[in-house]
Amino acid sequence: MKKAKKGLASAYILAGALFIAGALGTLLLLKPKKTDIVQVLRDDQVLYTVYISGEDDRFLKVEYGDSYNLLEIKDGKIRVSEAGCPDNTCVKMGWLSSSAPIVCLPNHLVIKYVSDYNGRDEVGIDAAAG
Amino acid sequence: MNEKIRRITELALMTAIALIIFVLELQIPNLSPVAGIKLGLANIITVYAVYRYKWGEAALILFARVLLGAFFSSNPSALLYSLSGGLFCLSGMLLLKKIIPENRLWLCSVFGAVLHNMGQLTAASLIMRTAAVWFYLPPLLLSGCIAGALTGLAAQLVLQRTKKFK
Repeated sequence: MKKAKKGLASAYILAGALFIAGALGTLLLLKPKKTDIVQVLRDDQVLYTVYISGEDDRFLKVEYGDSYNLLEIKDGKIRVSEAGCPDNTCVKMGWLSSSAPIVCLPNHLVIKYVSDYNGRDEVGIDAAAG
Repeated sequence: MNEKIRRITELALMTAIALIIFVLELQIPNLSPVAGIKLGLANIITVYAVYRYKWGEAALILFARVLLGAFFSSNPSALLYSLSGGLFCLSGMLLLKKIIPENRLWLCSVFGAVLHNMGQLTAASLIMRTAAVWFYLPPLLLSGCIAGALTGLAAQLVLQRTKKFK
């Protein structure tokens, strides 16, 4: 009985911790992040690396089988303006503005900011890679 | 009445209810641009089943609903994500059931929802071979806690009222 109560108490604490961690993490994630380099990846293969602020306004079509994603580059920003996937979540995500990448699950596409051309976006990883 | 037939009918009924809830929820436009943030109303039946039926029966209801649901949604590629989410959610809740009593069912559902989201992210990061999707963990944790508590509360109310039909 006592043991069960202890378990329940820790379950409450864990649930509270998850909630707070989620709230704090979301706030951090919402902070705008902008570097000058954007990478477009599929299955961890780099398709494009774009120096975004120096790029002319244009569209970029990325095919995937019968499906596609139309990327729009405008005023140094990037978004998916059109997609052939069934849910169109990537379009609804709008312009890439924070460290949260734009993801299109059906077309296996990831669009994110990176700090350098090798796609290493964290100082820690740089150091580890030597 | 034959006990076995009664049981099968009841499980089939629960599966049908879960499927209807799932299909209805598909009609609700997604409020958030982040994939995966949703109420997960069909989870009401999953949590309910975990507490009312044997583990195998709860698993049958969940996986029948997920498989059938994939036919009804226009997005069959989502099946792998749903399966993985369902597996995480169900196994977690079955274990937590030993710690969390029936009258705190909503708490179990919170963990179920969070585990469901983690299962989906795991599937996504494996399929797309990238860790980038884990950036979505924080908002999914937050929404999972809220949605899980609400669906769990609904299941708890249903469980209390159906207890007399044994």
